[in-house]
Amino acid sequence: MFVIELDSVAKTFDGAIQALEDVSFSVPTGSVCALLGHNGAGKTTAVKILSTLLRPTSGQATVAGYDVTRDPAQVRASIGSVGQIAALDWELTGRENLVLFGRLRGMRRKDARARADALIHQFDMLQAADRLVRTYSGGMMRRIDIAAGLMVPPKVLFLDEPTTGLDPRSRRDVWGLVSSLSAQGVTILLTTQYLEEADVLSDSIVVLNKGRIIANGTAEELKRRVGSGYCTVSPVNPADLSKIFAVVAELEGAEADYEANTVSVLAPDGVATLAEVFRRVDRLGVELVDIALRKPSLDEAFLHLTESVTT
Amino acid sequence: MTALVALTERVVHDALRNDLPFAALSPAANFIVFNFMLGNVIDTGGMSYPQYVLPVVVIQVIFLGALTTVDRAAHDERSNFGDRLRTLPISAVIPLMARMLYCLFRGAVALLAAVAVGYMFGFRMFGGFIYAAAFAVLVLMLTLALSLAADAAGVLSVNWRGGIAGSGAFTQFLLVPQMLLVMLSTGTAPADSFPDWLHSFVRNQPVSQVTQTLRGFATGHVVVSNLATSLAWCLGLLVVFGANAVRIQRRTQ
Repeated sequence: MFVIELDSVAKTFDGAIQALEDVSFSVPTGSVCALLGHNGAGKTTAVKILSTLLRPTSGQATVAGYDVTRDPAQVRASIGSVGQIAALDWELTGRENLVLFGRLRGMRRKDARARADALIHQFDMLQAADRLVRTYSGGMMRRIDIAAGLMVPPKVLFLDEPTTGLDPRSRRDVWGLVSSLSAQGVTILLTTQYLEEADVLSDSIVVLNKGRIIANGTAEELKRRVGSGYCTVSPVNPADLSKIFAVVAELEGAEADYEANTVSVLAPDGVATLAEVFRRVDRLGVELVDIALRKPSLDEAFLHLTESVTT
Repeated sequence: MTALVALTERVVHDALRNDLPFAALSPAANFIVFNFMLGNVIDTGGMSYPQYVLPVVVIQVIFLGALTTVDRAAHDERSNFGDRLRTLPISAVIPLMARMLYCLFRGAVALLAAVAVGYMFGFRMFGGFIYAAAFAVLVLMLTLALSLAADAAGVLSVNWRGGIAGSGAFTQFLLVPQMLLVMLSTGTAPADSFPDWLHSFVRNQPVSQVTQTLRGFATGHVVVSNLATSLAWCLGLLVVFGANAVRIQRRTQ
């Protein structure tokens, strides 16, 4: 059963700028789906169409069984939507914001207060709840922002770049939050620029590039298509580079980069490959600056995926 | 309903510090400027100048008050908060209604403040309670009509040329008709004080008609044809501006 379905959705702005083109994907009930892509890939446009802020130029989209163009009111009743930048009233406290959004969803003041209390506990925001939102750090604002989307538990939660601009600790907090919401059965569609984030959080990943879907599948499937990581070795003395290359040359994808002073090999087995490389280099008695496993960056992933689309 | 109350409370809360004090103080400032600048140079016949000028002070204040809505509407249209409101299961008109309820509240505060200042300088409501109530109703009708127009302008300012001009430019632009209508009206001086070629405009424009009606309500003598003209203006503007404000609020990209 799919709770979000897009069928050849396109969006053109001012008749010229093609933000989305022939986008089709679906998200099963209770799962987490990540829309992955660079700035300008069309992620936010897709989320805005699904949360009824924009109308698709063509194609069809349904959320919780309701068409976003024909039945926007029903869609709005089923979703919680958290935008890229905190959508809160900065002149109110965190708690007042939660109560406000509860009442905007038709809760009575008393019920809204009780629910706000519960969420403040759940989100560990006791100290900050009664301060004005404009005094908040980015991480706290994000938490209240997400909590505001949960005052009435939604069937579907949209999170547009929930961790952009957050410090690593706050990012972990948001990750924990997304996982626990998902465990409670909420279907989540999030957008992100980080492959790692999509990997950690989501059951399925849709990769967008310039308004088109270039890949769609589970994190595992995508990683298989993107290729595995690399193991890179850098000696202290650049003159040792050729010696290192000689001992690993027979490994898959071995390459020496004299400009960057690194030798790299493909690491399909991850740490096992790293250990193998280390054993071989160690026998040489060469002094190393660095030996590390490197995952393909999003750029490399895109390069790879766009190449596989065109070839 | 809960949503409307909650949003109205929010507007009032935000305005409590940055707008309502001005709503209460600007009538006094405007009254003093008009009264002392023009009071001794304009012949209003048997009527004292404070009695004559108070209605146009009220109109001036509600014009300026309506202009504060431009910013609020633009902010709600442009902000992430506004975006989120549009993803909630509430009618698109509810935020507009909340802003308008605040405008009426603000208008009532300004009206009371203006009458209070007027009383200190000799203005009186001679007509009794019914006329005083009619005075207030007409003022609030015009407040709502002008606020609806300003609100629509605020929303449009966000999308006009990609929002480059901004709501500030719109507000300044809207000051031009406001100044012309207030200055070139029989609210500040009887028509004879204006050059001949301006007479027909000065006599018939809405601010002149409405201030004349308000003066009538204050003294207890209303000319029926003038009352009809004022009501027609106010109701007409309400319908036209109201329909436009709602239409602009409802559309989605």
